[in-house]
Amino acid sequence: MKLIIERNQLMNSIQHVMKAISSRPTIAILSGIKLEAQQNFVKLTGSDSDITIESTIPREEDGMINIHDVQPGTVILQAKFVSEIVRKLPGDQVEIESDDELNVTIRSAAAEFKLNGQDAEEYPQPAILTTDNQFEIQADVLKNLIRQTNFAVSTQETRPILTGVHFILEDGVFELVATDSHRLASRKINLNSDAESVSFRNIVVPGKSLSELNKILDDHQEKVFVSVSDNQILFKTANVNFHSRLLDGNYPETSRLIPEQSKTTVSIKSRELMQTIDRASLLAQDNRNNIVKLATMPNQLQITSHSPEIGTAEEKVDTMSIEGEDLKISFNAKYMIDALRAIDSEEIEIAFTGAMRPFILRPQNEEESILQLITPVRTY
Amino acid sequence: MSKGRVIFHVDMNSFYASVEIAERPELKGKPVAIAGAPEKRKGIIVTSSYEARAKGVKTTMPLWKAYELCPNLIALQPNFEKYREASSKMFSILYEVSPIVQPVSIDEGYLDVTDHNFGMNGIKLAEWLQDKIYQELNLPCSIGIAPNKFLAKMASDMKKPMGITVLRKREIQQKLWVLPIGEMYGVGDRTEEKLQKLGIQTIGDLANHDVVALKQLLGINGERLHTRANGHDNRPVDPDAIYEFKSIGNSRTLPHDTTDQLEIDSLLDQLAEKVSARLRYKDVVSENIQIMIRYHDRKTVTRSRQLRDFVEKKDEVFMIAKMLFDEHWNGEPIRLLGITAQDLVPKHELSKQLDLFTYQEEAEKEKLYQTVEDMKEKYGNDVFIQPKEKTRPNLSTSFQKDFLNDFKKDKRED
Repeated sequence: MKLIIERNQLMNSIQHVMKAISSRPTIAILSGIKLEAQQNFVKLTGSDSDITIESTIPREEDGMINIHDVQPGTVILQAKFVSEIVRKLPGDQVEIESDDELNVTIRSAAAEFKLNGQDAEEYPQPAILTTDNQFEIQADVLKNLIRQTNFAVSTQETRPILTGVHFILEDGVFELVATDSHRLASRKINLNSDAESVSFRNIVVPGKSLSELNKILDDHQEKVFVSVSDNQILFKTANVNFHSRLLDGNYPETSRLIPEQSKTTVSIKSRELMQTIDRASLLAQDNRNNIVKLATMPNQLQITSHSPEIGTAEEKVDTMSIEGEDLKISFNAKYMIDALRAIDSEEIEIAFTGAMRPFILRPQNEEESILQLITPVRTY
Repeated sequence: MSKGRVIFHVDMNSFYASVEIAERPELKGKPVAIAGAPEKRKGIIVTSSYEARAKGVKTTMPLWKAYELCPNLIALQPNFEKYREASSKMFSILYEVSPIVQPVSIDEGYLDVTDHNFGMNGIKLAEWLQDKIYQELNLPCSIGIAPNKFLAKMASDMKKPMGITVLRKREIQQKLWVLPIGEMYGVGDRTEEKLQKLGIQTIGDLANHDVVALKQLLGINGERLHTRANGHDNRPVDPDAIYEFKSIGNSRTLPHDTTDQLEIDSLLDQLAEKVSARLRYKDVVSENIQIMIRYHDRKTVTRSRQLRDFVEKKDEVFMIAKMLFDEHWNGEPIRLLGITAQDLVPKHELSKQLDLFTYQEEAEKEKLYQTVEDMKEKYGNDVFIQPKEKTRPNLSTSFQKDFLNDFKKDKRED
């Protein structure tokens, strides 16, 4: 195998596939990057067996030649070293050559590295997804959906299924739900009509996979094709294939967790509430659950916090309206701030049903179908 | 410190046996032992009178063995209620001498008498105290007098029963350094073994050994032991130390080594019950459960789990202990099992993050909580006191310290 390739393109691809490579791989070969050279493209693959990322560099793209002079072949390179080497190479182009004994030479300008490669035969094949369940979504939209839900997944392995985001697609409505059992984030969008033929209910994508995907996707309107099977999901853009294993098991029924009626409804400016809670939480960080208290007052909310050894904070924030019963409720300030950030709307509505029951945050204008649910803290 | 402190360590002599003897004078001068399940020969000796000890009877020895050594041994079932009562009276006498009393366990405590000596010198005061305890309670004790807690503790051990020993700093070479290292307070079997590998046989060897090497061997404790061996210990006598419990644990040695899953489960269940009862009793909850498994060959492992939620209920403690056990048991015969609840938090400092899937339990009591909250706001935090079981948890020896809490509380209300 031999090729000469533009260093920037190669580096970009290496950075993509490195996202899948674990520093402590389950099998040794997965500490490597698979480099496959073909006449018309070069494909890099990285995997930790849960996530597999394939990044393709086309020979020619937007009138630019990326790859010059190819003799096809495949080799496995030590990811840790090859990424550092390529990053620091002096020239704009990189020449990579591998002989029959898997001795790999990397040259750029006057620099030359000789590395031991490994046999590509030993590299596991990514499962080929054969499915009709495919739909498309814009990259920037998908990134936003991930941002608005993925933070709420559980980081604890006590209920492994909750470490993932639940994907549901029915009648062209795509819904993502995440919960760590203390708070829940849910976001729905209407996909275009092509998606109506596709449906699935029990797809749970590991939160970690989505964080990595989010780093790779560009924030523009590029199309992402999503296909799902029983145990795999594939996100496919023009040059990247992102495979992830799905989580086993049934995601709990979450729709029943969302209260349908409310006893106290508050409309308020999101940013002011967030800043007030952020300030109050300065004195709450010391207590275990980062607790702030919220109490309704005429046209205002009172936010307080205290740490027995440090002191207390109190602040009143104006609301646009308060309807219903008076209420005092305690909750984790971090959950509230996370939720307000995710909603990212100027005005929000909070619907409470009681001091020991979860409450709902929604944007005031119902255009965006996003809902955040937070369970309070019981103080003794 | 401008002038030296005078610290007493009061150590009751074979306390449980002495309490029994005080109550039944006909036992006086006879070999008496307190043992679990004395009707069964496999019971374990908890303590014994000096007459029994003279025949070779030792604490933790199985009863059948004690009978072999001392055929006329009188074995009695422990009655902790009675011991607690005696202990409480004993501490009351200590308080008459000085308000700076630090109970260490049911039968020993430190006293700082530096400024509370009634004009007597240390020895006179100790004699007076020893005599008072003997006259009023008919119980023998040994008292160590020294400038700090460590030396006082070592001193009280030097003469038993009814001893009074003064250990001055300038005397440590003759009195302390000659003792075998195993007799030093703070040196257990394991530490002794390790120190002996360094060629340390006596407390003097330890005192003169290189600190760095000790620190390498035993960590911070190595340094601490070295300081103590040289007669230094600046810990104050802290009357509140008893409140600073960090963990609550119970363990039990099985009558025989076992691999029987049912027997193991049943023991774990009983241990969980005890730990949970003690948690409730102290009004604390735990965020970390540890189990201890000692195998037939004395190899001991401890494994713990940090929890997301606080636990106090028996079922919760059992479930976690069982899970840890299943994960870590290597299948070999087991001699001892223990459960310890760690990372304790007083309930009143507690909050509970409700769970989306289970919040209903709390939600049902919403009205009640709200009322309690309102009342507290109006009348202060003390309007409601959680009703606590009047009866104490079924006591066994490791409850010794719990009851001291009560004693201290009673004392404070005086």
